[in-house]
Amino acid sequence: MSNQNEQEATTRGIGTDEWVAQHEARIAKPTTAMGKLADRWATLPAVVQWGIPLIVVLMIPFTTSSDYVLRIGVNLGLFIMLVIGLNLTVGYAGLLDLGFVAFYGFGAYFYAFVSSPQFGISWPSWISLPFVVVTTAIIGLALGTPSRRLAGDYLAIATLFFGQMFLVLAVSSDAVQFPWMDEPLDITGGPNGIPSVDQISFLGFTFNSTLSYYFLLLGIVVIGIIATRRIHNSRQGLAWRSMGEDELAAQHMTVPVVRMKLMAFTVGASIAGLAGAFFASVQMGVYPSTFKLPLLIMLYAALILGGLGSVPGLIIGAIVMVVLPEILRFPDYSNYLFLVTVLIGSIILIKSWKLVVAVFAATIAVGFVANAIFLVVGVPYLPIDEWIEGPLAPILGTWIFMPEERLLFGNIAFVLLIVVIAWMTTRSKRVRLFAMPFVLWLAIFTWEVRLLMEPSITRQLLIGALLVVLMAARPQGLFGKPRVEVL
Amino acid sequence: MNAALELTGVTKTFGGLTSLNDLNIEVPKGEILSIIGPNGAGKTTLFNIITGVYIPDQGDVKVAGKSIVGLRPDQVAGNGVARTFQNIRLFLNLTVEENLMAAMYGRTRSSLFDSVLQTPRARREDKEKRELALEVLSFFGTRLTGYRLQQPAYSLSYANRRRLEIARAMATGAHTLLLDEPAAGMNPAETQEIAQVISRLGSERDYTIVVIEHDMHVVEGISDRVIALDHGVEIAQGSFDHVATDPNVIEAYLGRGSAATK
Ligand SMILES: Nc1ncnc2c1ncn2[C@@H]1O[C@H](COP(=O)(O)OP(=O)(O)OP(=O)(O)O)[C@@H](O)[C@H]1O
Ligand SMILES: [Mg+2]
Repeated sequence: MSNQNEQEATTRGIGTDEWVAQHEARIAKPTTAMGKLADRWATLPAVVQWGIPLIVVLMIPFTTSSDYVLRIGVNLGLFIMLVIGLNLTVGYAGLLDLGFVAFYGFGAYFYAFVSSPQFGISWPSWISLPFVVVTTAIIGLALGTPSRRLAGDYLAIATLFFGQMFLVLAVSSDAVQFPWMDEPLDITGGPNGIPSVDQISFLGFTFNSTLSYYFLLLGIVVIGIIATRRIHNSRQGLAWRSMGEDELAAQHMTVPVVRMKLMAFTVGASIAGLAGAFFASVQMGVYPSTFKLPLLIMLYAALILGGLGSVPGLIIGAIVMVVLPEILRFPDYSNYLFLVTVLIGSIILIKSWKLVVAVFAATIAVGFVANAIFLVVGVPYLPIDEWIEGPLAPILGTWIFMPEERLLFGNIAFVLLIVVIAWMTTRSKRVRLFAMPFVLWLAIFTWEVRLLMEPSITRQLLIGALLVVLMAARPQGLFGKPRVEVL
Repeated sequence: MNAALELTGVTKTFGGLTSLNDLNIEVPKGEILSIIGPNGAGKTTLFNIITGVYIPDQGDVKVAGKSIVGLRPDQVAGNGVARTFQNIRLFLNLTVEENLMAAMYGRTRSSLFDSVLQTPRARREDKEKRELALEVLSFFGTRLTGYRLQQPAYSLSYANRRRLEIARAMATGAHTLLLDEPAAGMNPAETQEIAQVISRLGSERDYTIVVIEHDMHVVEGISDRVIALDHGVEIAQGSFDHVATDPNVIEAYLGRGSAATK
């Protein structure tokens, strides 16, 4: 046995690896149309890959005169800045910082302090912006120093409190009594915030239109993306990422983890701070309600959705989280989105094309059977043109039975839907497949009858549903690579 | 000339349990020293003391004549002592190349500004790091080269993970390697290969190596000297043949029926 080993070793040479040697020959070429396209795209140089979307984004202001669209662009720019900062702390260094939004808030307030009538100060932007970056960096350091020994859950709790503390401070510091003053001092403007903040201006050019901020933030975001790409494989980037993977091992491999943690906090905080200053300037005001928990949740959702640590992922994640809620403001669009979500969701669930077609055919049949039953029983209904219009009307209008008492029927359907889905999760695959047409019809029925009546709730519900579908389809995030462990 | 590594009177107790007791070990430069001993003898604890995970209750640890007691693990590694872990702790989501480059933090100087602005220093260091990674990996034949260089560590086979851990320790620029059971879980051919790699690290690269190993064939093949520990006490030391036939050692293993592989 050992003789044979030695013989093999001498003919192959110790440490030769056939897999490595034959790798080229083993690469499987993609066969599907999408696969080939993705393959093509992957071979393009990075400049082209990033240049094409950049040109599209540059063109947007010239194709629309709508301030609303540009405004979404500006919000998206701010959001991407925040995600880039958060990615350094959470995605790379693995520090679960739940107080991140507070840095955004600190940045906005600090900018307002030195650029508004609040204290009668009006610093030029080339002083106020660096001032904001430095002060928020110091606050990041101040939060990081006591938290540097906290890991995982403990860090999350500590930073969460920090975030809430900021909110309390911002809301309640409108009458602070200093011993040396006769009257209480209004620092933050309380719940009303600080109105009339100066806009950013450089060399005589004032950023005073949505368009100007659109380009300003586009520039900043481009710089941010380039910087992130460079950091990814740099000395610091690798130190952060290795630390996020295994702190003890990283420390054994010469990485000073405490210093790197503080650096991650500080850099993340100053990026958020700068975003805050831009925000205050765009809004021409600061209001505490901006910095509440929902923003934090949206940021984390974007980060995870994109696939932690992937740069294109961050951008796409941010786009989904910012643009989607805007689209959903319009009932028509949200109707489309709902149907598409249901469609894609069930295709992903079923996996086989033949079955998909069968299930959809059955779903349509269920709808008509339900119509017939409603008619026979004699439930009063609304004529089509009283509840739906647009291109979907002829299809949905005849397929969905719209009872006059939408609230009653909708509520019953909603409860029934939840019960059926709960029941389904305990059943076998076969049973689930057979129940699916009914569930799909019930879901669409509930949506059209009840949920469309309340756009604000449906918006949240739909975003939630979309995220669940996306995550189920790609648990590793849109751009994350699926992790296939060798066991 | 100073020894590469020198422990004098090192004692460590955990809540009344003595894991290491008055241990004196001197490792001359270029030596391959094997530490053997039954489970719980204190072998891994010894590594943890040297690398700064624990501070010894008593005694001193010197690296090339300089005391390193009280230094953090990153500082110890910066002083030239790098280790592998008994239960492999790679950066699983980083590629093979990135694993090595991450370990070169201590031997490079680029600041965050260098990295973002891609200054000449950052670019030069980046190039050097990539070359160094290849050079280190060439030690393991073609096993971790080629397309594997860009594969995430989680996709590696068990034996390749052990190899990568050794490579990562080498990448820190250390002159002394502490290898905790490098052949554990490998098949006979792989074990033979890793033993050759360790021997060559000593003979071709002048590394000082302390290796904890349970496989007596490996120990016999690579060691300049062997130290046997039991209950944190040195019970024998010397050449392999001397230690392997020592009655204390035989009793330590057989008396408790532990896993000696010979
Ligand atoms: N952090 C700790 N806290 C408490 N006890 C510890 C700690 N670290 C090690 N020990 C104890 O010290 C003793 C020696 O452990 P060590 O891990 O060094 O053994 P070992 O020789 O490496 O054994 P093995 O061959 O199983 O790896 C054990 O009894 C162990 O339980
Ligand atoms: Mg051990």
